[in-house]
Amino acid sequence: MASQTKSRIIEKNKLTELLDKLAQDYHLIAPVQGNNVSFRRVESGSEVTLDYINTVLSSKGAFLPQTETLFRFFRDDSRGFRIETVNDADREQVVFGIRACDARSLRLMDMVFDGQYKDSCYLNRREKTTLIGLACFDHAETCFCPTFGIDPTSGEDVDILFSDIGDRYLVEASTEKGADLLNRFSEFFTELRGDEEQLREARKAGLEGMKKLDVSNIADKMAPLYGSDYWDSIGMKCLGCGICTYVCPTCHCFDIADVSVDEGGERFRCWDSCMFPEFTLMASGENPRADRKARVQQRFFDKLKYFHDRYGELACVGCGRCIRYCPVNIDITQIIEDVTSGKAGNE
Amino acid sequence: MKATSEEVQTTVKKLFEAGNIAHFIGYEKGSYNLRVTPCFLKSGQAASRLVWNPLCANNLSKYLLDFKNVEGKVGIMVKGCDSRSVVELLKANQIERDKIFIVGVPCSGIVDKEKLLEVLGISLGEVVAVEDDGDTFLVTLKEGKQRVEKEKVLRGECLVCKYPTPVVYDVLLGEAVSSLPWVGDDYSLIKEQEALSSEEKALYWNREFSQCIRCYACRNVCPVCTCSECIFDKKAPRWLSKANNVSENLVYHLIRAFHVAGRCVDCGECERACPMNIPLRSLNKKVEKDLLELFDYTAGIDVEQQPPLTTYQVGDLDEFL
Repeated sequence: MASQTKSRIIEKNKLTELLDKLAQDYHLIAPVQGNNVSFRRVESGSEVTLDYINTVLSSKGAFLPQTETLFRFFRDDSRGFRIETVNDADREQVVFGIRACDARSLRLMDMVFDGQYKDSCYLNRREKTTLIGLACFDHAETCFCPTFGIDPTSGEDVDILFSDIGDRYLVEASTEKGADLLNRFSEFFTELRGDEEQLREARKAGLEGMKKLDVSNIADKMAPLYGSDYWDSIGMKCLGCGICTYVCPTCHCFDIADVSVDEGGERFRCWDSCMFPEFTLMASGENPRADRKARVQQRFFDKLKYFHDRYGELACVGCGRCIRYCPVNIDITQIIEDVTSGKAGNE
Repeated sequence: MKATSEEVQTTVKKLFEAGNIAHFIGYEKGSYNLRVTPCFLKSGQAASRLVWNPLCANNLSKYLLDFKNVEGKVGIMVKGCDSRSVVELLKANQIERDKIFIVGVPCSGIVDKEKLLEVLGISLGEVVAVEDDGDTFLVTLKEGKQRVEKEKVLRGECLVCKYPTPVVYDVLLGEAVSSLPWVGDDYSLIKEQEALSSEEKALYWNREFSQCIRCYACRNVCPVCTCSECIFDKKAPRWLSKANNVSENLVYHLIRAFHVAGRCVDCGECERACPMNIPLRSLNKKVEKDLLELFDYTAGIDVEQQPPLTTYQVGDLDEFL
C-alpha cells in the first residue's frame, strides 16, 4: 500500500496530454469555459480550463444529472407494455478539478442516496467515478468552507489530489482507486524533487482571511426560529427562482415524470427546487408552503437543522455559490451569523 | 447634480414623517463588496440604511406586486429603466398609481461587476466602492483609487439606454439626464444577428439554450412577468416538460420572449440574474426592434399606449391571412 500511495509530480506541460488520455479511457468530467466555467463532459484535454476559483455549476451533475432517463417503455402488441432499462451510468468516469467543498458535498449526498434506501443510479456513478481534486490556494470573497471543517488544500474526500505548486503539480493518491489510476498512467508522473512540501506551504498564504463562522450548535439555535418574523424580510426579498438550489452542490431534490409520445415514452427524473411553489403543491390544490417566506425558511432549516437532525451534518459546504449568484444578495453567511448571534428572532 | 445616498435618505425620511408613505422599497449595502441588496422599510428611522450608487442594478418595481393588498402607500426608488416597467405595470392594471409614490433617480449607468474586475485586473476583495463621476467611475480600492472609463464597464442595457431619467415619478432627485454620450445605434448587435442564416441562428441559440439550467431566475426577476400562475408551472396540462433539454429550453425562452413582447423595457434584469450568462437581452431586443419597425411602438413610455400585440385595430397588418 505504501508504495501505491506515494506522492509524485507531474510537469504542467504534460497535463493536457494526461487529460487527453483520461478522456479516451473514461468519461472525463472537468471544468470547461462555456458562457461560464462549469463542470461538463469533455472529449479532450484542451477543452479543460483551470482558470477558476470555483465553477458555477458544481460536479453534482456527474452523479445526479439535471435530467436522467430511468427507463423507456413501449406498447407491445401482445402483452401490453415492454420496459427497457437504461444503463448510461455503466462507464467508468473521472471527475477532474473538483474542489474540497464539492468533494465534501458528495459525502453528504452519499448519506441521502446510500442510506435506508439505495439509489442505484447515483450509487452506480459514485462507484464508477475516480475523483481528482485540485487544491485551493486562493479563495473568493464568498468562500467559507473552513466553517464546516473543510481544509481547501486537502484531499480528504477525493481519490487523488493535485496541488499546483508553480511549474508542476504535486500528485497524491489517498485511496486505492486513486493509486490504481496513477499506476495506470505512471508514464506521466515522476519522482519528487524534494521542495514540493515547502512550495505547497508557501502557497497557502493565499487562503489567509478566509471566512470561518461558528456553527457548533446552530441546529439547536434554529429550532425556535420556525415561523419567526425573521424569515419575513428574507422571503420578501427572495424572487423564488431556483439559482441557489441548482448551483448548490448539496441540494439534491428531484422530481420524477413520464413523457410519452405515440406508442412509447420514458420515465425521467430531474432536478427540482424547494424554492418553486409547485414543489409542495398537492393534488388537492393545497400547498403547505404557499409563500416565499415559507419556502425560504424551509431551505435554511433544511441546510442548518433538518439535515443535521437526520444525518448529523449541516447540508452546506461553504462553497459560496448561492451567495454569489443570488440576484438579490440573500447570503447564508449572514443568516448563520444572525442565528448564532441571536439577532434573528429579536426583530 | 447627481442624487446622493444622503439625499435619498432625507427624502424618504421626510416622506414617512409627512405620512406620504407607509412602506419604502430601496437599496442598501449588500453583504460583501460590490453588492447592494433590496431594502424594505416600514418607517423613516431606518432610512439611513438606504444607498444610491452605480451598483444599484436591481429593478425594484417587481416588488410592487407584493404590496397590492397592503395598507398605505408604497414608496419606491426607480431609475429610468425601472420607471418604464412601472409604466407597464400600470398599463396592465397590476398596480394603482395612487397607491405608489415614485422616487425617481436619473441614472448615468450601472456597473457590470465582472467587466469592472476584468478591466482593473483585480479580485472582488480589493474593491471598496464605486462612484459615478461623469464619464468615468471612480473606484475606491483597498489601496488607493482608480478611474475607469464608463463605456468599458457598463452593463449591456446601459450602453444602449435611451431613457436614463425616469419617465414617471412623484419626486425626482438630482438633475435629469437627457441622453448618455455613449449611446448610438442600440440595435447594432441585433442587426448582426439578423444577418445570420437560419442554420447559424439555430446553432447559436441551441448552444446558448443547452446551457440553460431552467432556474427561472429570468422569469422571476422580470418586472413584467406578472401572471399569478405561470404556464410553465402548470401541472395539468403540463405545457413544458421539466426535463432539461435544448428543445424544452428553447420553448421556454421563446414563449417568454413573445409573452413579454411590447412590455419588455430592456431593464436587463433577466440577463443579470442568469447564472449561465445566456444573452437573453438579444431575444427581447429583437422583438423590441420588430415592434418599433412594424408598429412604431416603444414600451414603457406612456400609460395610455397599449402594447400592439394585445390590442386590435381594423387597419392592422393582415398580409398573412
